[in-house]
Amino acid sequence: MKNTAADFITVVSGLPRSGTSMMMQMLAAGGMPVVSDGQRTADADNPRGYLEFEAVKKLKTDSAWVAGARGHAVKVISMLLSELPEDFEYRVIFMLRDMGEILASQNEMLKRRGTAGSASGDAAMRQHFEAHLKKVRAWLAERKNFRVHFCDYRELLCAPAEQAHGVAKFLGIGLDEHAMVQAIDPALHRNRGEDRGTA
Amino acid sequence: MFGKRQHKIAIDHELYERLEKAAQVAGYSSVEEFVVHLLEGAATPAGADESEEQVRQRLKGLGYLE
Repeated sequence: MKNTAADFITVVSGLPRSGTSMMMQMLAAGGMPVVSDGQRTADADNPRGYLEFEAVKKLKTDSAWVAGARGHAVKVISMLLSELPEDFEYRVIFMLRDMGEILASQNEMLKRRGTAGSASGDAAMRQHFEAHLKKVRAWLAERKNFRVHFCDYRELLCAPAEQAHGVAKFLGIGLDEHAMVQAIDPALHRNRGEDRGTA
Repeated sequence: MFGKRQHKIAIDHELYERLEKAAQVAGYSSVEEFVVHLLEGAATPAGADESEEQVRQRLKGLGYLE
């Protein structure tokens, strides 16, 4: 049975630099409205833009906007998923990517931003992130109002049509799969996961 | 964060009364809030808070948290 987009909120989640922006672009191209304020504009780290919504950072203190996100897609990093109000149905597309690639990409981004991030080196940070993801996945598994589709970044680049079909089937709202595939930066196909504008 | 499924634990009445008084003195809004706070402190594995804090700092540096 086909879902009605307005029944649920589509959440694109994962760690930063795991392909969340690319998935947002795919959804937008496929015909899903996205919640984005355009405040974080395209840059060297993400030449096609971030499609983010600043209010997500304030979810803990103000989640009033979430009701209006039904029928839309919004990016919410994994750390903030638990701040989403429990009163709604969510379909989460959770992006996964090789941790080494994520860390390398984040390090580049931190350098460009001129921010320190944390005192941990890559080896320690890998452990922190893995523990975090384990916790988030366990939490998601217990939520009755969250349905989750995991999408691997590398597989998305290697088999975009198959992965787009998986996402479209999961959401069940008749997204344009061909347009979703077209939204993937062809340069990423060529580089197969090298860090080139992947948030 | 990430722990909203709830369970009940039976507590002896006398202990409950003591907890109730202690919660009031400490300024908690309920016995439950007080007990949960105590249990969280007791059950947190060494380093878990630190690990989460490192993730938080990293995400903050990347511009994803305030």
